[in-house]
Amino acid sequence: MKVFRSHLLLCGGTGCHASGSLAVKKELITELDKRGLSEEIKLVETGCNGFCAMGPIMVVYPEGVIYMMIKPGDVPELVEEHLVKGRVLERLLYREPVTAGIIPTMQEIPFFALQDVRVLRNRGLIDPEKIDEYIARDGYAGMAKALTEMTPDQIVQEVLVSGLRGRGGAGFPTGMKWKFAAASPGNMKYVLCNADEGDPGAFMDRSVLEADPHAVLEGMVIAAKAIGAHQGYIYCRAEYPLAIHRLNIAIGQAKEYGLLGKDILGTGFDFDLEIYQGAGAFVCGEETALMTSIEGKRGMPRPRPPFPAVAGLWQKPSILNNVETLANIGQILLRGGAWHAGVGTEKSKGTKVFALTGDVNNVGLVEVPMGTPLGTIVFDIGGGIPKGKRFKAAQLGGPSGGMIPVQHLNAPIDYEKVAELGAIMGSGGLIVMNEDSCAVDMARFFMDFCQDESCGKCTPCREGTKRMLEILTGITQGKGKAGDIELLQEMAAIIKDASLCGLGQTAPNPVLSTLRYFRNEYEDHIYKHRCSAGVCTALFKSPCQNACPVEMDIPSYIALIREDRLEDAYKVMLRTNPFPSVCGRVCDHKCQFKCRRGKMDEPIAIKFLKRFISDNAPRPKIEAVPVTRKEKIAVVGAGPAGLTAARDLAIRGYKITVFEELSEPGGMLRWAIPSYRLPRDILAKEIDDVRALGVDIQCKKRVGKDIPFAKLEKEFDYIYLAPGAHKSQKMGVPGEELQGVYGGVEFLRDFNAHETAWTTGKKSLGSKVAVIGGGNSAIDAARCAARLGADVTILYRRERKDMPAAVEEIQAAEEEGIRIDFLVAPLNIVEKNGKVIGIACQRMKLGEFDRSGRKKPVPIEGSDFTLGADAVIAAIGQVPDMSFVPTESGISVNKWSTFDLAKGSASQTTNPKFYAGGDALTGPDTVIGAIAAGHQAAKEIDGAIRKQNGEPAYEEPAEEKIVIPFVLDEDNPEAPQTKMPELHGPERRKSFIEVELGFTLEDAIKESKRCLRCDVEI
Amino acid sequence: MEKKIPLNIDGRDVEAAPGQTILDVAREQGIYIPTLCHYSKTTNVGACRVCVVEVEKARSLVASCCMPVSPGMIIKTDTPKIRASQKLIVELLWASGDHNCLTCEQNGNCELQNLVYWLGIEKPRFNVDPPGYEIEKTNTVIQRDLNKCILCGRCIRACNEIQVNEILDFSRRGHRAKVGPAFDADYIDSDCYFCGECVDACPVGALTFKQARFAGRPWEIKKVKTTCTYCGVGCQMDLNIHDNRIIKVTGNRAYQQPNEGSLCVKGRFGLDFVGHPDRLKSPLIRKEKGGELVPATWEEAYDFIAERLAGIKKKSGPESIAGFSSARCTNEENYLFQKFMRAGIGTNHVDHCARL
Repeated sequence: MKVFRSHLLLCGGTGCHASGSLAVKKELITELDKRGLSEEIKLVETGCNGFCAMGPIMVVYPEGVIYMMIKPGDVPELVEEHLVKGRVLERLLYREPVTAGIIPTMQEIPFFALQDVRVLRNRGLIDPEKIDEYIARDGYAGMAKALTEMTPDQIVQEVLVSGLRGRGGAGFPTGMKWKFAAASPGNMKYVLCNADEGDPGAFMDRSVLEADPHAVLEGMVIAAKAIGAHQGYIYCRAEYPLAIHRLNIAIGQAKEYGLLGKDILGTGFDFDLEIYQGAGAFVCGEETALMTSIEGKRGMPRPRPPFPAVAGLWQKPSILNNVETLANIGQILLRGGAWHAGVGTEKSKGTKVFALTGDVNNVGLVEVPMGTPLGTIVFDIGGGIPKGKRFKAAQLGGPSGGMIPVQHLNAPIDYEKVAELGAIMGSGGLIVMNEDSCAVDMARFFMDFCQDESCGKCTPCREGTKRMLEILTGITQGKGKAGDIELLQEMAAIIKDASLCGLGQTAPNPVLSTLRYFRNEYEDHIYKHRCSAGVCTALFKSPCQNACPVEMDIPSYIALIREDRLEDAYKVMLRTNPFPSVCGRVCDHKCQFKCRRGKMDEPIAIKFLKRFISDNAPRPKIEAVPVTRKEKIAVVGAGPAGLTAARDLAIRGYKITVFEELSEPGGMLRWAIPSYRLPRDILAKEIDDVRALGVDIQCKKRVGKDIPFAKLEKEFDYIYLAPGAHKSQKMGVPGEELQGVYGGVEFLRDFNAHETAWTTGKKSLGSKVAVIGGGNSAIDAARCAARLGADVTILYRRERKDMPAAVEEIQAAEEEGIRIDFLVAPLNIVEKNGKVIGIACQRMKLGEFDRSGRKKPVPIEGSDFTLGADAVIAAIGQVPDMSFVPTESGISVNKWSTFDLAKGSASQTTNPKFYAGGDALTGPDTVIGAIAAGHQAAKEIDGAIRKQNGEPAYEEPAEEKIVIPFVLDEDNPEAPQTKMPELHGPERRKSFIEVELGFTLEDAIKESKRCLRCDVEI
Repeated sequence: MEKKIPLNIDGRDVEAAPGQTILDVAREQGIYIPTLCHYSKTTNVGACRVCVVEVEKARSLVASCCMPVSPGMIIKTDTPKIRASQKLIVELLWASGDHNCLTCEQNGNCELQNLVYWLGIEKPRFNVDPPGYEIEKTNTVIQRDLNKCILCGRCIRACNEIQVNEILDFSRRGHRAKVGPAFDADYIDSDCYFCGECVDACPVGALTFKQARFAGRPWEIKKVKTTCTYCGVGCQMDLNIHDNRIIKVTGNRAYQQPNEGSLCVKGRFGLDFVGHPDRLKSPLIRKEKGGELVPATWEEAYDFIAERLAGIKKKSGPESIAGFSSARCTNEENYLFQKFMRAGIGTNHVDHCARL
């Protein structure tokens, strides 16, 4: 045998062919020839390596270094560096998506390391077109054993012991199937292989056939021996030309070697094989339709019984097994059924191959033991969700399956668990969906597939799927109506129950599954005409506007910037948002996460553009609105929710009085957000605009203290409660009551109330500060503490990607010299003489997933350590202070210290006179959430008044007509988001001057030109 | 048939024979299970799903037309679940086509209409959405309106399994599935023999006899059983009479032998001669060479025949006379005819058109 110093295993699966591996191969051959290395280095084109997202892939042995996404142009450098100079070419190595660390070898990449390859054991290792390489890897040894040492009964027994179940999806025990067929009388029997893989997103079988075709042939010969068949067919879809090509080569070689055909291995056993190419009907994956198709008839299912084991192909006893099932058989016979049953769960043995695809970093082929948690597949092997998006659900089982949502990431994936969760194992297509997927649209997509692929034989499937699709399409287009959900459910149940074959019986599954987990999305579509994922375009103008809780007309004001019509742009913003300058600075910009431009390169800097307008546009003068309504309304709390409601109601002619406990209005905007993010004068101007309408804001009036609750109730007709959430949650660790331990918002409030005292050193945190928490409050507290000169460490119990704080805030904190220690939780505060001297902590590791889809931190035993600190700020969350609400008020407050609502209302409390909103209703949320709540409450309060008075509903005054220009550049090349100019250096670190400096006109116009104008219909 | 499979259907303990389906047993017991695609003497395809029943321990509803009985089966044919399924299925079929009974030839004789009524469906919850196919008008005898087709496949099985003409099958798939000859041809452009078996099999108004359109409602039609006059097979058939006119001919499977309801193109469509104005209604005699044919009475005609034949026989002998009979006569008539030639005339010169 010729010995080479290096082997280059280049992936030659369909995926890698598509990404250019054939061109790379050609280039490699040329380059090796040119350098005279062809005799030293052997190039092998293997089958699918599995890591399809990274193709073309090449592994260099003996080192085992894996190169990815190789382009033909990379080849000369690759050969020069690795094969001539012996240096690894780093730029083509794998980079871990989160840490961006380089991982050179396959075994160390989590995608490969966490798999257990049995069916895929030869992937990327052998040349699928060389039988010798398969034989060298113990190929056909299982068959030899079965043919020479075992009786058919023993073979069946071994398969029964293995616990192998049909990998096509239904999970019927393979051994039982064989046993029935073996018991059927007759000497004409057939072994059939189902390679009609058709689920959208599934490519397991194709990869197995392309990478290891002999494994399937071996399994079929063994099956034939077990049931007494002498003829077999592989029913492979014609869309798999490479698989068919390699199968044909494999069949030819096996015959040549006496491993197929007459007198196999001299045992006297005959078994011949043919490939039958399917013409593309999904239904032909159904066993009776498949057999009908081989018979040369129209591929339609037929009723069972008779079952194929009794009367299958040409009415003869037949077995039909899936590619993956058959690929398991050789190893089971060679190593024993018990070996196979050694992994997996109680009722689901062995491994399962999944085609991992969709919104996941590591798209590819994955083989794991049955019972592996879904989260392990998606996050550890799959590398999680790209672009920091959230995991929503995984679709398992293709159009016949269902969704497994985020709260079940810990679910061990086996036949039983998957069925319990409302999905099916299916053939193993695992489509990952992020928050940008709409459940209704997903159900519509799969229903469209099923109705299109229905053969048309039976009524429920043919007509029922079409009608379900009609209803689903209607819902996604905003034409949904009451009763649609119930009709879908009724139809789903009947179609499942009454259809002829598996296609119809499972077609409603995606609908049932999405209704089970995402019924609220159906209701939102039908009753609110809202698609929160931003998918159903008929329901909104643009994804950004759709994502905004107050539906700001973002594309319009961006278009106006382009024309330098800032005054108009400002007016457009004010239509929906009374606080655009605030939001231009501190909004969490949900809009940007949904921006379509983000799919191309980076989202539009909507927040910065908004700020640009508010900074530069002339401010329209606000006139007081005369009071025209008799009802008196009080608002409790002058935060964004309270002020928005006050403004809206004042505009409608009501007399509004706002009661605020603290000395200035603004709520969290004034008292928690530091001025380097939101300068006080900017906030004050927008609050003044509310005052200018005639709203009376009375500060230092705490309800229950400065004004009795009963008085409030007596003097006002309606009261809007928006007190916010100003109390820090306790850590629940010993020493928390010590001086020097602060709650996050309490510290920020104190700082903002006594800024001079703090900055002049009259008040001090000391030189070392520990901040606990990972939210925006924690970052705010940390950055403030750092500005006061402290050495600040943030301790967070999870990972960076789990931090709720805005990414840009985290980056800013780090830039300002703040350390963040991840996976650390506090144990107790360390004191000396009543003074804080540190905080004892322990390290955490990640355990199971919680309901939010993040891994729960669990303590590492013996990892305790103490961090020296003069002050500890606990910013782990806030709760509303509801002590001002008397129990006898009839206003119900729940265990989370937030208001309960009256049924059917979005803001009315259980006392009809009182409405509520903002953080006190939802728990800590965003500014824009609070503004939306204020709008909602104003609408509901006004509506209730008018209803009671028997008046018609309020009509918005006619809007000033502002013509929105539509100009798009012919060419809109990829370009990153325009950077926000920032303050740098000691001026930033030591002062509370605003850090972000604002766009110039040039920046703003450049950025506005990036907008793709999704709002325009052409 | 030996009945030895015990089972329970709607609370009745009964015994069934091996090979019987649930539907067979139910019908024997007088239990009504609706069907649409079921067509006896053809394969049970289980396509329409209106015959579903509940079988204890079965994973789902069971199509009774193609489920063989097994010992101990406990079957229910009338439960809310079954009725709900049947209703939805019939509703779906109704909405899928142009089932406008006002002008439909099958009105009153339509299995879908009957089922809608039996299930008490006021109107479908779905928009009525016929596919919009053009009505086939290229032949003179069969009208194909696929907008009324419920895709039960009975015509296909009648064509392929009963007549074995193998003209019809499904094309396309899903709700776009369509019945027809290969390559979506019209009947006239296909190898169709126009036996009309498909029309008899059609449970709705998709396939109708053209000459009977607007010629009479099913309840106005009187069916007269007769024997086909075209050949000696003796096919039994129903003449559909309205206003003393044959408007169409239908097969009747209840008549059994010899044709079990099947007919050929002649018997089916060739009876328009019956009411034709050119039809001969009395004998004609040409009294002199070159002269006109003149109507005569039967007595005159028989006398004329007897006189002429006797004359020829006497003058030229019996071998100068030959007899030629028709396949449209019955066997008995043909027997009598050859007897007449051999014994009466005294010649073996006798033959029959079927030999040509």
